[in-house]
Amino acid sequence: MRKTLAAAVAFLLLPLVAAAVTVTTPQGPAEVFARGDLLDVVALLRLAGADVQYAAAAGSYSASAKDHEVQFTPGGSLAVVDGRLTPLPGPLRLVEGHVVSGLPTASALLGPFGWAARGTATAPELVKVGGAEQIEISVARAGGVTTLVVRGTKQRPRVTSAPGSVALQFITPVELSRPVVAEGELQGAEVRGTVLTLRLTAGTEVAASYPLDDPPRYVLRLGSDATVAPVATPRLGTLVVLDPGHGGDDQGAKGPGGEMEKDITVAVARATAARLQAAGVTARLTREGDETVSLTDRTALANRLQATVFLSIHANASPARGARGAETYYMSADASDPQAAQAAARENASAPADTLQLILWDLAHVANLNNSARLARTVQERLNALQGIRDRGIRQAPFVVLTGATMPAALVEVGFLSNSQEAARLLARDVQEDLASALAEAIVEYLRTPTPAPTPAGTATPTP
Amino acid sequence: MKPLRPIVATLVIVVALAVVVLLSRKPPAPAPAGPPSQATPVPTPVPGTLVLFFPADDAMLHRESREVPELPAGLPPRVRLVIEELLAGSRDGYAPVFPWAATVQAVFVSRDGDAYVDLSTPPPEVVQGTDGELVLAYATANSVVSNCPGVRRVQILLGGRQVATLGHLDLSRPLAPNMELVAP
Repeated sequence: MRKTLAAAVAFLLLPLVAAAVTVTTPQGPAEVFARGDLLDVVALLRLAGADVQYAAAAGSYSASAKDHEVQFTPGGSLAVVDGRLTPLPGPLRLVEGHVVSGLPTASALLGPFGWAARGTATAPELVKVGGAEQIEISVARAGGVTTLVVRGTKQRPRVTSAPGSVALQFITPVELSRPVVAEGELQGAEVRGTVLTLRLTAGTEVAASYPLDDPPRYVLRLGSDATVAPVATPRLGTLVVLDPGHGGDDQGAKGPGGEMEKDITVAVARATAARLQAAGVTARLTREGDETVSLTDRTALANRLQATVFLSIHANASPARGARGAETYYMSADASDPQAAQAAARENASAPADTLQLILWDLAHVANLNNSARLARTVQERLNALQGIRDRGIRQAPFVVLTGATMPAALVEVGFLSNSQEAARLLARDVQEDLASALAEAIVEYLRTPTPAPTPAGTATPTP
Repeated sequence: MKPLRPIVATLVIVVALAVVVLLSRKPPAPAPAGPPSQATPVPTPVPGTLVLFFPADDAMLHRESREVPELPAGLPPRVRLVIEELLAGSRDGYAPVFPWAATVQAVFVSRDGDAYVDLSTPPPEVVQGTDGELVLAYATANSVVSNCPGVRRVQILLGGRQVATLGHLDLSRPLAPNMELVAP
């Protein structure tokens, strides 16, 4: 009887817990749904003037006002803010048909519209935030290339080019901390709210743009019809870094009989290194034994050693069990620029990543891409000469282990472990020796072949 | 009956209090525009054909056409439909794109034409090899971009979170389609 009574009391008191809370806004108080310390973010966004729509099939909400749009979904802790995926401080939840969150998460969603949620969950305030971030623009010229660096904000603007100008659309307002002096292709700059407009000389356009960290900045590399993209002459040397894929806790792909990729890759890498040493080429491995090495540490080692060539050795696996053959990858062009520059800047701790250095890394990477393609082609041709290898060609893909390499780099897949016949073959010592011979011969051939790309007069030659 | 009197009296008092409090409360918060309250217009179903990409034994992606009873006009629902048809698997005998029983948790499409597809988290090490990752990323990107005009790139999220990599491929940002991986 007492239990029945308690349930009846709880049922009757339930509506009292699911109360609305009064939000203080510049227009006066307003009621929004609240549960505990979670507030209705859709209501808050509407109070901030955003138009909020719900796409039932996608399960996501879209809030928009003026030039800004925020997309979010209950159950997640990510939002797309003006087209960019942005982590939220906390999750969004669906409670009684209301999308709710804590104050910090609500503030993150309100931020792009110039608002913030302050106070406490029981006495929240919706406040306008107008403090524009102070930015400054520096100009650097090297090797006939002008690079603009925007400092002072972590925001990643949307870049829109027009004849004679380029507009950077930020999420929140920005201000120039000091006037911009016309220099080179940059004729001037002005800010209106969230838009920074850079006036450029006729025919100048943005060749590349990307964010960098530590300190946060945004880089624009300018180009024009008259600018010949400088190509650096790669430094020919004798140090090759071989990267046996996976290792330690990361076993990599597994064959039908439990064959582990990490064992095959290190065996092939060791044998390749031995053949290179015999040919007078110094070789280093990113791992000598069965240890765990992160993807970025592998490339970082090659960068620190100023290696001439970086070759990552792998065995493949496919959801299609009949897949077989060898293939060689190099970095895809669209994936290479920003990450390479950032990684290079991070890894070269002895020389801080100033603007000139970034330009040099950038130029070096253009040259590396061409040479990486040549390396991949040479490796694949040597593998194709082996018996029992099905040629799957050379391809480009944004592999993390190739990102940030400041020298020609490739990733070779010597066969498919998911194919039982190839798995058995890859385990055979003589096959591993043949693979190593092919890889070593390919690297030696690559090193002996002159680099085809000339260096235009007057351009800088980067030293990796 | 005597022992029940205090209980009944308590119940009456609680009911009376609740009525008084409810009547004195401020008007309820405005109803949200979310799933329960928004009246979704019912469009006339328009059948259509999807072109999906699945892996085969030649380790290439192969096109597979599929009739669907309704082709949504909006981008997010169309992206969701494409992914769900990929998840349903090939009808022409090709291998699966997703090697786990994935579900679509959410779909975003940005104004720049980047689609974000949030899938349920895979078990550890279920996606193997560069080919396994390339299939996952590019069967998805190729299928979505081929069927959803306006979408340029696709990023896969797992369990509501950005994923840097599953071991090889950089999955930290949206990927454009890769037709090099498609069988001629």
